[in-house]
Amino acid sequence: MWHITKREIYDNLNSLRFALTTVLLLALMLTNAIVHLREHPNRVEKYNKAVTAYQSRLASYANESLYLLAQQGPGDLHKKPSPLHFCAEGGDSFLSGTVNAGDPFGYSEDMTGVWKLSYPSVTPNLENVRPDAIKLDWGFIIGYVLSLVALLFTFDIISGERERGTLRLILANAIPRHTVLIGKFLGALISVSIPFMLSVLMNLLVISTASNLHLNAEAWGRLGIIFFIAILYMSLFLVLGLLVSTRVRQSAVSLVVLLLVWVTLVVFMPNTLASMTGEFSPSMLSGEFWKRYRQLHQELDEKYEDRVWTDESDTQTLTARSEYFAKHAALDERLNEDRLSLQIDQFRHARSIIRVSPVTIVQHLLESFAGTGFERHLQFVENTQRYAHQFRGFIVDTDRADPESLHLIGVREGMSEKPVSPKSVPKFEDTLNLNEDFNTTAMELLLLVLFVMVLMSGAYLAFVRVEV
Amino acid sequence: MMLTLIRRELLDNLMTFRFAVAVFIMLFLVVANTAVLIKDYERRLAGHKTEVQKSRKYMLEGKTYSVGELNIDRPPNPLSIFNVGLDKRLGNEIWVYYGHVPTLWDAEKHSSQNPFMNILSSIDIVFIFEGVLSLLALIFAYDTLAGEYERGTLRLVLTHPVSRGHILVAKYISAMVCLLVPLLMNLILAMFLLTTSASFSLSMHDFLRIGGIIFASIAYLSVFYLIGMLISAMTRRTSTALMLSMFVWGFLVLVYPNMIVAVIQPSNPPEERRASVHNHIKQIWEEFERERKQFLATDRHLEGDPYGNMRWRGGYNFEHFQDKASVLQHYYYAGAEIDGFHEEPESQALHVQNYHRFLVPLIIDTAERTWRIRKPVLEELFILPATIDRAWLRLSPTGIYDVATQALAGTDLQGMQDFFTAVQQHRQSVIDYYYDKNAFGSRQWFSFDKEAVDWNTLPQFSFQRSGISLNVQRALPDLFLLLTLNIVLFIGVFLIFVRREV
Repeated sequence: MWHITKREIYDNLNSLRFALTTVLLLALMLTNAIVHLREHPNRVEKYNKAVTAYQSRLASYANESLYLLAQQGPGDLHKKPSPLHFCAEGGDSFLSGTVNAGDPFGYSEDMTGVWKLSYPSVTPNLENVRPDAIKLDWGFIIGYVLSLVALLFTFDIISGERERGTLRLILANAIPRHTVLIGKFLGALISVSIPFMLSVLMNLLVISTASNLHLNAEAWGRLGIIFFIAILYMSLFLVLGLLVSTRVRQSAVSLVVLLLVWVTLVVFMPNTLASMTGEFSPSMLSGEFWKRYRQLHQELDEKYEDRVWTDESDTQTLTARSEYFAKHAALDERLNEDRLSLQIDQFRHARSIIRVSPVTIVQHLLESFAGTGFERHLQFVENTQRYAHQFRGFIVDTDRADPESLHLIGVREGMSEKPVSPKSVPKFEDTLNLNEDFNTTAMELLLLVLFVMVLMSGAYLAFVRVEV
Repeated sequence: MMLTLIRRELLDNLMTFRFAVAVFIMLFLVVANTAVLIKDYERRLAGHKTEVQKSRKYMLEGKTYSVGELNIDRPPNPLSIFNVGLDKRLGNEIWVYYGHVPTLWDAEKHSSQNPFMNILSSIDIVFIFEGVLSLLALIFAYDTLAGEYERGTLRLVLTHPVSRGHILVAKYISAMVCLLVPLLMNLILAMFLLTTSASFSLSMHDFLRIGGIIFASIAYLSVFYLIGMLISAMTRRTSTALMLSMFVWGFLVLVYPNMIVAVIQPSNPPEERRASVHNHIKQIWEEFERERKQFLATDRHLEGDPYGNMRWRGGYNFEHFQDKASVLQHYYYAGAEIDGFHEEPESQALHVQNYHRFLVPLIIDTAERTWRIRKPVLEELFILPATIDRAWLRLSPTGIYDVATQALAGTDLQGMQDFFTAVQQHRQSVIDYYYDKNAFGSRQWFSFDKEAVDWNTLPQFSFQRSGISLNVQRALPDLFLLLTLNIVLFIGVFLIFVRREV
C-alpha cells in the first residue's frame, strides 16, 4: 500500500496541477493574512475605545449615586472581536456588535424608569454600496477553493489508470483492491495537504509576526481543530472524486460530472436553499409586535395610573412607582426578548435546512471554532443577559447595605443616594467558551464524518465490483 | 467546405455526454432557482405593498402639517431576479422631511424583515450563468484544438485545401451554437415562468432589457469559449489544457472577484474626514439654533418657548436634533400636534404662526446648505470606493458581465440613486406645496383646533425606473469591453493557431 501512495505522491509532485495549486493557495492565504493584519487592529482599537467609554460612563454614574446607576444602567455592551476573525467572517458585518442596557423611559425628572436590555434590529451594513463579494477568509479558501482542488486531483485517479491500461497491471499484483483504493486515497490526501499546509503555515507565520496581534494557546488549539476540519472536508471531496472516477470510463467525462456536481453542491445549493428558507415560519411582523407592545403597556399603565401619577411622595406612592418602573422595564425586556427569539428560531431553522450542503457545514464549523458568526452572537447575547442579572443583583445588594435607604429600587427618594466605588460595580466582560461551542457543533462534525463514510463505502463498493 | 466543417463539429459536440449533462444541469439549476426567485420577489412585493398602505395610514393620521409622516417605500425591481445587485441589500424605507435632504444612506430596511436573514447569501440568474456558463464553455473548448493534435486528426484536415482560419471559425461557430442551445432554452423557460406569475408586470422596455442581458450573456459565454480555445491552442496535451482551463476558471470566476474587493481599500483615512465634516454640519445647525433662539428672545410673547404661554387642552410637541455620524446625518426635527386651547389666545397663536413663518424657511435653507457640504463627501466616502472596486472588477470577464447586466437590470448603484433622486424631487414638490398653501404660517402647522390637515391634495410620489436608453447607455462601456475582449481573444487564438506546427 505504501508503494502505491508513494507513487501517487511522486506523480502529483511533478504535475502542473500541484504547482498551480500551490501558487493559488499561497496567494489566497497571503492575501487573507495581509487583509487581516490591516483590518484587525482597527477592530480591536474600536472595541477598546468602546469599552473605555462604557467604563467611564459607569464610573461617572457610580461616583454620582447608586440611584443613578440603577436608573441609567450599564449602557452599551460590546461584543469582543475574535482574534481568529481571519478564519471565518461569519456574516459579522450583518450582526450588531452591541446590546443596549440603558435607555430608561422618562416623562419627567420624577417619572424616569429604570434601564432595560434591548437588541438593535437594524443591520449595520446598509451604508455599504460596494459590490457584493464573498469574504476572503479561510472558510472561503477551504470551502470553495480547496474542494475544487481536491476534485482536480482525483478525477483521473482510477479512470486515468484505466485509460492508460496501468490499472490492469496494478491489479495483477497480489494486492487486495481495497488496499489499492486506500493507498490511492492517502496519496491524493497527502499531495493536496502539502500545498494546503504550506499556505496555512505561511498565513500563520505572517499573522504571528505582527506585534500587535496576539494569539494565545487556546487560539492555537482552535486553529488545530480548524485544520483538522479542513482535512476532513477535503477528504470528502477526494472520496467523491474517487467514487466518480471508478464509475466513469473516461477521465474527461469524470471531470465534467465532478465539476457540475461541485457547482451544484458548493455554489448553488447553499444559495438556493437560503432563498427558499425565507418562506418558512415568518417571524412576527413588526406591525403585530408594536400592536402587542402598545396593548400590554396600556394594560400596565391603567393598572398603576392612579397610584403613580400623584404629586405626593409618601411611601405608598414610592412603592407603587418602584414596582411600576420595574414592571415597565421587565415588560419591555420581555417583548424584546420574545421578538429576538422568534427571529433566532426562524434563522436557526433556515440554517438547519442549508446544512444539507457540505460547504455550509464546514463554514458553520469554522465559524464556531473561530468565535465569529451567528452562534457566537447568541453567546454574546446570553452573556449580556447574564450580566444584566448580575448588575441588578449588585444594585439590590448594595442598596440593602445602606441603612438609610427604603429599598425601593428606581425611585430617588426610596433609594440609597450614596456614591458607589466604581471598582465594586460589576463590569461586563465578553467571553468565548469552547465547551459550549463544541456542544452545538458536534452534530455538524458528525454529519461531515457521516458524509465521508458513506461516500467512502460507496467508492469501495464501486471499486471492488468494477471490471477492468 | 466551411459548412462541412461546421456540420462535422456540430455533430461531434451534440452527441457527447458532456452536452447532455450540460443541458440537464443548466435546466435543473435555472428552473429551480427561477421558481425560488419568483417566490422571493413576490414576497418582497407583498412586503412593499403592506408598507405603502401602512405609511399612507400614518400620513392620514397626522393632523397638523408639522407632524406629517411622509414615508416612501422603494418597490422591488422585477428584473432583480436576473441580477439582484443592490436591490435587496440597501434600505427600502425613506422618510421625506422638509428639513433634511434624503439620500440612499438615510434609508432603512422596512421592519417586517428578520435582520438575521441578511446573513444568508442571495442568488440570481446571472450568478448561475457566471458560474456554469463559463465552466461549460471551458469544458467544450479545452480539447477542441489540443484534442485534434493528440489524435492527429488535425493533420488530416489540413491536407485538404482549407485555410486554418476557416477551421477556427467553423469550430467557434459550431461550439457556440451548441452552447447557445442550453442558454436560450433556459432563458425561454425562465421567461415562461415569469410570465405565468401574476405579480410580474413586465413592460416592453423590460423585455428589451432582458434582451440586453441575453446579449451580454452570449458575449460572456463567447469570451470563455475563446479563453478555452486559446489554452487549447497553446498546449499539446488535452490533460494539460484541461488543468490549465480549470485553474483559469477558478481564478477568474471564483477567486479574483472576491479577492479584489477584499484587497482594495480606500486610500484616504475616511474616519477623520468624516468626523471633521460632521462637525462642520453640526456647526451650521448650531448657528441655526442661535438664530432661532435670537428670534424667540426678540418676541416677548414667546419668551424662549413658542408653546410655553399657550394653555393647551391636549396634544404634544417635540424638538430635537437627529444625529447619525457615520452617514453625516444631523438635522433639526420639530413638530407639534395640539388639539385645542383652554382660553382662546388669538394673539398668542398669531405669534406662534409668525415664529413658524420665520423658522421653517430657515430650516429648509439650512438643510440646503448642509446638503451642499454633505453631498460631495458622501460621494467621496461611499461612491468613490464602490466605483474603484467596480473598475478593478472589470479585470475579470465575470466582473464585466456582472456590472453590465446590473446596469441593464437597473439594480446597479446608479439605478438605485435614480430612486433617491426621485425622492429628493418629491421632497422639493412637497415643500413647494407647503409654500403654495402657506402652510408654515398657518395655524394648522401646529394645531388642529380649527381644522385638521387634508393630506389628499398633497402631491403623490411616483417613480418610474429609468428608460431603456439610459440603461443601455450605462451598460454600453462594459458591453463594448466584452466585445473587444472577444475580438482580442479571437485574434490571439488565430495568431497562435496559424503559426503552430502540426
